[in-house]
Amino acid sequence: MVVSLVFLYPTYEDYQYRKHLSSLSGQDSISYLEQNQDDILKAKLKRMKLGLDLQGGMRVVLEVDVIKLIEDIAKNKDDNFLAIIKEVRTEATNNDESVIPIFARKFQERGIRLSRYFGSIRDADNAVLAYLDNETEKAVDRAIEIVRNRVDQYRVSEPTIQKQGSRRIIVELPGVKDEREVQTLLQGTAKLEFRLLRDPAISYRVMQAIDDFLAGKVPADTSVASKSAKKEEKPKDALDDLLAGNKPAATDTTKEAQFLREHPFFSYVSPDQQNTGEGFVLENNRDRVMRLLARPDVQHLLPLDFEFLWSAKTDPTPDGKKFYRIYAVKRVAELEGGVVVDARANVDPTDNRPIVNMEMNAEGAREWARITGANVNKRIAIALDNAVFSAPTVINKIVGGRSQITGMESPNEARLLEIVLRAGALPAPVGIIEQRSVGPSLGEDSIRAGLTTTLISFLITVFFMVIYYKMGGFVADIALFFNLLFIVAVLAGFQATLTLPGIAGMILTIGMAVDANVLINERIREELEGGKTIRAAIDLGYSKAFSAILDSNVTTFLTGIILYQFGSGPIQGFALTLMIGIVATMFSAIVITRVVFNLMTDRGITPNFG
Amino acid sequence: MRFFKKTNIDFLKPRRWAYLGSSLLILAGIVSMVVKGIDFGIDFRGGTELILKFERPIEIGQLRTALGTVGLGQSQIKTYGTDQSILIRSVETGSGATVGSAIKAAVQQALPDAKFTVLKEDKVGPKIGAELRKDATYAVIASLIAVLGYVAVRFKFIYGAGAVIALFHDVLTTMSVMSLLNGVIPGLNLEVSLEVVAALLTIVGVSVNDTVVVFDRIRENLKIHRTMSLGEVINKSQNDMLGRTIITNGTIFLVLLVLLLGGGEVTRGFAFAMTIGTITGSYSTIYIASAIVLDWSLRKQKAAVK
Repeated sequence: MVVSLVFLYPTYEDYQYRKHLSSLSGQDSISYLEQNQDDILKAKLKRMKLGLDLQGGMRVVLEVDVIKLIEDIAKNKDDNFLAIIKEVRTEATNNDESVIPIFARKFQERGIRLSRYFGSIRDADNAVLAYLDNETEKAVDRAIEIVRNRVDQYRVSEPTIQKQGSRRIIVELPGVKDEREVQTLLQGTAKLEFRLLRDPAISYRVMQAIDDFLAGKVPADTSVASKSAKKEEKPKDALDDLLAGNKPAATDTTKEAQFLREHPFFSYVSPDQQNTGEGFVLENNRDRVMRLLARPDVQHLLPLDFEFLWSAKTDPTPDGKKFYRIYAVKRVAELEGGVVVDARANVDPTDNRPIVNMEMNAEGAREWARITGANVNKRIAIALDNAVFSAPTVINKIVGGRSQITGMESPNEARLLEIVLRAGALPAPVGIIEQRSVGPSLGEDSIRAGLTTTLISFLITVFFMVIYYKMGGFVADIALFFNLLFIVAVLAGFQATLTLPGIAGMILTIGMAVDANVLINERIREELEGGKTIRAAIDLGYSKAFSAILDSNVTTFLTGIILYQFGSGPIQGFALTLMIGIVATMFSAIVITRVVFNLMTDRGITPNFG
Repeated sequence: MRFFKKTNIDFLKPRRWAYLGSSLLILAGIVSMVVKGIDFGIDFRGGTELILKFERPIEIGQLRTALGTVGLGQSQIKTYGTDQSILIRSVETGSGATVGSAIKAAVQQALPDAKFTVLKEDKVGPKIGAELRKDATYAVIASLIAVLGYVAVRFKFIYGAGAVIALFHDVLTTMSVMSLLNGVIPGLNLEVSLEVVAALLTIVGVSVNDTVVVFDRIRENLKIHRTMSLGEVINKSQNDMLGRTIITNGTIFLVLLVLLLGGGEVTRGFAFAMTIGTITGSYSTIYIASAIVLDWSLRKQKAAVK
C-alpha cells in the first residue's frame, strides 16, 4: 500500500510540473524550466510512461534490405549475378522464405559457386552463406547505431530503439509527428567525417569569450593579460568542482548565484584542465548549453572555421554522474568516411588492449598520408552525423591507408568505433516496413475516454456489489479499490508503458476481479443457509471457493501469457495489465477481504451478505 | 438482495436445439465470411490508413474525387465516429510514407478551405500484415491448446475437450456475428484488427473462466451426490452457480457496455467483440461444454451396456 503510493508519487509530481508549466507562458515558463530542471527530469524518469497511442508520436519498423546489402558487398558482379538478384527480389516479395536461402538455392540451380562473388575463391558455399548472415547482422547493428546517434542528436525525448529478430529495428519516437522529420532521422546515408581539432588555446579563448559575453562583460583589449591569467585559473576550479561532484557553490546559494552571474558559460561547461581543449558538460546541462551555443549572438563569437561538436556518448564522473565532451573542430572535414573500406575491432597482441584497425582505399590513403603527415601530434575527431565518437592523436604519418586506433577503454568501445567507421563505408540499406503515427489530440481524447470509462465501470461495479451483497459487497469493493491501486502501482514501478489497450485491460480486470468475490460471497450465503455460524460460513466459503478461483484465474493467466508472447506492442500492453490484474485480484479478493472479515468477526461485528 | 433463490431449471434438456441454433449461426457466419470476405484491417492486410479530422463536415464524394486524381480512387473512405473525422484507407504502401503524403496533398488541393489535422497515420507493409495474420492464428491455437492441457490435467480429458470445443464455438460465433453485422450498423467498424484478435483471445480467457467455475462445481457435486446421474449433477451445478454466472457476467457485460458506448472509436471493435464473446461465453458453458461432457459420457455408458 505504502509502496504503491511511493511508486505513484513521481507520476503525480510530473503531472503537477507539467500543469504548472502550461499555466505559465513565454519567458516565465523558460525560467521555471531552468529553475526546476533537475526535479522535473527526476520526476519524468520515474513517472508512468504513456504509450504512443496516448501521448501521440510515431512508431516505425525498419528492416534491413538484405538483397540490397548482398548486392552492395558482392564483387565482380556480372549479368548472371544481376539476373539472380532480380529473381530473388520477385520471389522474396511473394513468399515468406527469407532471402539468403532463396539466394543460395538460385545459385545451386545454376551450378554457380557463391565464392565467385563473395569471399575468396576457395571458400565453400556454406562458409559464404555464414558470412552473408553475419554481414546482415552487422548491418542491423550499424543501422541501429546510426539511428540511435541521430535520434540523440535531434534530442527526441524518451525514444525507444530496439532490435527485433535479426533484421528489424523498432523505433518509437514520442512527440514526433512530421514524417519528414522521420525521414531525416531514419533514412539516408550516415555522414562519417574526419575533422581536425582546433588548437586547445583557441578553444579555451573562444569559451572564455562566450563566458565574458554572456556575463555582459564586453571583451576589451586592455583585459587580455588578466583574461589569460584568469583562463588558467578558472578551468581548474571548474573541473575540480565537477570531479568532486559538489560545487562549493552548491552548499552556498549566494556563492552559486554569484558564480552563475559572473560565469554563465563556465557554470555549465568545465574546460579540461589537461589542456586538451575539450569542455565537459554534465548530462543534465546539455540542453541548456546547446541552447546557449545555438544563439546567433554566441555563434557570432566563433572564429571562422571553428565549430563545437558534441561527443556521442557520455563518460562517467567519479561520483557516478555522466558528462558529455564538447570538441572544438574545424568546420570543414579533412576527409569523408566514404574512403574507409574496412574497420575491425581487435586486440593488440603486445599489451591486450582493444584497438581498431581501419583500412582506406587508394584515394583515401593518399589524402590520409598528407593529412596525418601535416598534423602529427594533433587530434582528429571521428564524427558520425556530427557526433564525435573518438578523437585520437596522430602519432606519425600514415602511408598505405592502414591505421590503428588505440586508447579505447573497453572492447565494447572498440566495437562501437568499428560500427561507426563502417557506417560511413558500407551504408546499411534499411526500408520502413511499418509506420504508425498518432496525433496528440487523438491521444488526449483517448486518455479522457479511457479515464472516464474506467471510472464509470468502477462505480457501476461498486454500487452493484453493495446493493447485491450489502456488507459483503462493500468489503469486496474495498478489495477492488486496492486492486486498481496495485495494478497502477506495479505498472509505474516496473516503468511499464500505459497504452490504450492497457486501460482496456484494466477495465476488464474490474469486471473480472469481482468474480472471485462473487464466488466467495455466493458460497458464504450457501453455507449460512445450511445453518452454519457466520465465522464458520466465512471459513468454509473461502476454502470451498478457492479451487474454482484458482483454476479459472490460472486459465485466464495462461491466455494472458500467450497474448504477451505472440502479440506486438499494443497487445502486449493489454496482456501485461491483464496478467498483473489477475495476480492483484488473487491477492486483494482473497487475502484483503478475508482480513477485513476476520477483523469484523473478532470485534463482534456480524457482516451480512445481503 | 438476490435474483434467484434455489432454482431448479433443467438446463440440459433443450441442448439439441442449442446445438442446432449454434450450428446455424456459425454456418451463416461462415457463409458471410466466404461471400463478403473477412474484412481485415490494415494490420493484417498491409496498406496505408489515415484518420483526418476536419474543421467542418466533409462530403465523402468530394474526397473520393480528390483521391481519384492521384490514382487512389479505390481507397476506402468512411466516417470515423463523427462526420468531421474521416478514415481513408488504401491498400497501397509505396516506399517510405509516400502514400500518406500523397493523400494529404490531394485532399489539401481539392478542398483548400477545409483545414484538417492528422489524428492518426499508419502504414503497414504487406509482409508484416501476413506475419501478423500468422502470429494471430498461432496465438489463438496456442491458447486453445494451453486451455485443453490445463483443464485436462485439473479435471478429466473430456472436460478439457468440452471446454476447448466451447471456446472454438465462442470464437467462431463472435467472428460470425461480426461478419454478419459488419457494414449493417452505420458508424460501427467491425473489421478484424489487432484489437479484435486481442478481444478473441480475451474471450478465450473469460469464457474458459466461466466454464471452469461450473466444472469445479460439477467435480464437487459428483463427490457429494454419488447417487445422482451425471445429467442431474450437471443441472444441479448449473443451478447452484446461476446466481454467480448472472452477476459476474452481468458486471462484465455492463462494463463492456460502458466501453462500447463511451470508450471512443479506437476500442469500439474490441468492446463489441468482447460483448458478443461474453454472451456466448456463458451460453457455451451450459450448452456446449457441459452438454458435450454429458453426451460423451452417455454414449460411453451406452457402449458399456451393449
